[in-house]
Amino acid sequence: MHKNIFIGEICANDEVQKDHFLMKMYLPRTFGAVLPGQFVMVRIAGLTDPFLSRPLSIYSFSLEQNACVLELLYRVVGKGTQILAGLIEGSQLEVLGPLGTGYAMPDTEKNIVFIAGGIGVAPLSLLAEHLCVNSPSCGPNMIFYLGAQSSRQILGLDKLQSLCYAVHVCTDDGSFGKQGLVTDLIRKDIKKYPPGDTIIYACGPKAMLKTLNTILGGKYRCDVSLEERMACGVGACMGCAVAVKEGSGGAAYARVCCDGPVFGLNQIIWD
Amino acid sequence: MEKRKIKSVNPLRVGLAGLRLKNPVIAASGTFGYGQEYAQYMDLNRLGGIAVKGLSLKPRSGNPPPRIMETTGGMLNAVGLQNIGVEAFINEKLPFLRQYDVAVIANIYGESVGEYSKVAAKLSAASGVHALEVNVSCPNVRKGGLSFGADPKAAAEVTRRVKGETDLPVIVKLTPNVTDIVQIAQAVEKAGADAVSLINTLTGLAVDIKTRTPRLKNITGGLSGPAIKPVALRMVWQVAKSVGIPVIGMGGILTVEDALEFLIVGACAVQIGTANFINPHAMIDIIDGLEAYLEDNKLKHIDDLVGTFKT
Ligand SMILES: Cc1cc2nc3c(=O)[nH]c(=O)nc-3n(C[C@H](O)[C@H](O)[C@H](O)COP(=O)(O)O)c2cc1C
Ligand code: FES
Repeated sequence: MHKNIFIGEICANDEVQKDHFLMKMYLPRTFGAVLPGQFVMVRIAGLTDPFLSRPLSIYSFSLEQNACVLELLYRVVGKGTQILAGLIEGSQLEVLGPLGTGYAMPDTEKNIVFIAGGIGVAPLSLLAEHLCVNSPSCGPNMIFYLGAQSSRQILGLDKLQSLCYAVHVCTDDGSFGKQGLVTDLIRKDIKKYPPGDTIIYACGPKAMLKTLNTILGGKYRCDVSLEERMACGVGACMGCAVAVKEGSGGAAYARVCCDGPVFGLNQIIWD
Repeated sequence: MEKRKIKSVNPLRVGLAGLRLKNPVIAASGTFGYGQEYAQYMDLNRLGGIAVKGLSLKPRSGNPPPRIMETTGGMLNAVGLQNIGVEAFINEKLPFLRQYDVAVIANIYGESVGEYSKVAAKLSAASGVHALEVNVSCPNVRKGGLSFGADPKAAAEVTRRVKGETDLPVIVKLTPNVTDIVQIAQAVEKAGADAVSLINTLTGLAVDIKTRTPRLKNITGGLSGPAIKPVALRMVWQVAKSVGIPVIGMGGILTVEDALEFLIVGACAVQIGTANFINPHAMIDIIDGLEAYLEDNKLKHIDDLVGTFKT
């Protein structure tokens, strides 16, 4: 059978922090299962302004008797997300997905370290939840580093605290947790996590991932999920390019939407 | 009963420059990958044709990101013709497409006349390609591309050389970034083109006012989507009445009504590009809509509609 464009019915769409919304929607059961790291393309049917669908990573996913329940956590950054934020309960959206690749699962690593910057918490939170449910032994090994601009931008903290052994929060302005960038904290703490015994998952702004790459120095197993502007979301337009290393030592542009959005940090070429 | 009989004739079938299409709806190059990407969303057998992503002699890595930017009613792209190259296309992508009963149109691109003819020769020797679409118009690559499509002599020369390498129907895809598109269309017709397709994207620009830098790394990009439809329609109309060869129209088609406008002003077939991104079912909806339109208007065949524009 062919995959459908699904109609999602919004059952909640609340501002959980300033400019940050949590949208919950029902989808038909045929939407299927979701891998942590995957995303959906959403758009308001019939609307041509904004024109393109918006890629949003999946924050939570569960099955009910007659429906899949999907939660999307998003920040209002422009026209598209502004309109999404205005949607009320009962509104419908066109949903394409689940799309892209998911995070690789841990092997036997003793330390499972998550590093999230801002809205990057969304896919990592789903991953943490997934690991707790499917491999309960992971829970005590999971340490979450959460960075935000200020206390008003911290998202999903309660859930993370219930899932992980420890959650370290830092804010740029020091209004919550430690003051500084999440990568400053990682630079200090990384000694605690020996490369052979650690898997790292990260999602956040490009600058954060770039700094992380320098800190880790290629020694760690680290999966990151990337954000890029997208048009099709299915690999057809080549619009969502990211430079990656190729087997032969060369470079190539991969598609974030279907070759990713999850990539090994060591694969990516940071200019 | 009457209706049944008419249906069995297939009212949407079109013959175009030796190319037989089961309906006049073709996926536009660069917006439909190599077909595979959308195969899980639709039955490719329903489509009239698929124009695959522009192929060059050697693989091309394309432009650095960001490559796309949304605009009002459309988008800018500067993909830079990233593609796997003609050899990999023949070996890795064509076998997949051969499973389907759909016309495969190989869109080709070269940086020199010689490259165009080499790519054309390789594709003509492969089985499963039904026509060549010669992109003389892509505005994204700094050298080559633009100058061919903007100069009647260069466009004619590419056409002639490609024709010399192939027995397949040759469609020349025109750029709108010229002063007089009719002049270019007539030049390629004279040089032996079997059909023309138009329009490719219109060169555009978007600026980030915070940083005062371009939104695209390439600075400029090609505008596509509904924003360009009136310009595309005007050009298709002008070209259709000035050449004797078939015209394939495109630019901003989202719905069956849009497609009908192109057919009315003289296009024998249409291509659907950017619409696929926002609605992977767009082409199927358009095909169904064309059939319904013919029935509603008591037209026996799509040919009875083409070029019926009254001015
Ligand atoms: C992302 C993208 C890539 C494209 N790549 C090609 C290409 O490789 N070769 C080509 O001839 N046209 C290419 N085009 C142009 C389209 O085939 C089409 O001419 C144009 O987009 C106008 O139609 P539309 O408004 O329906 O998209 C591309 C367009 C887009 C949006
Ligand atoms: S968004 Fe089109 S290829 Fe990734």
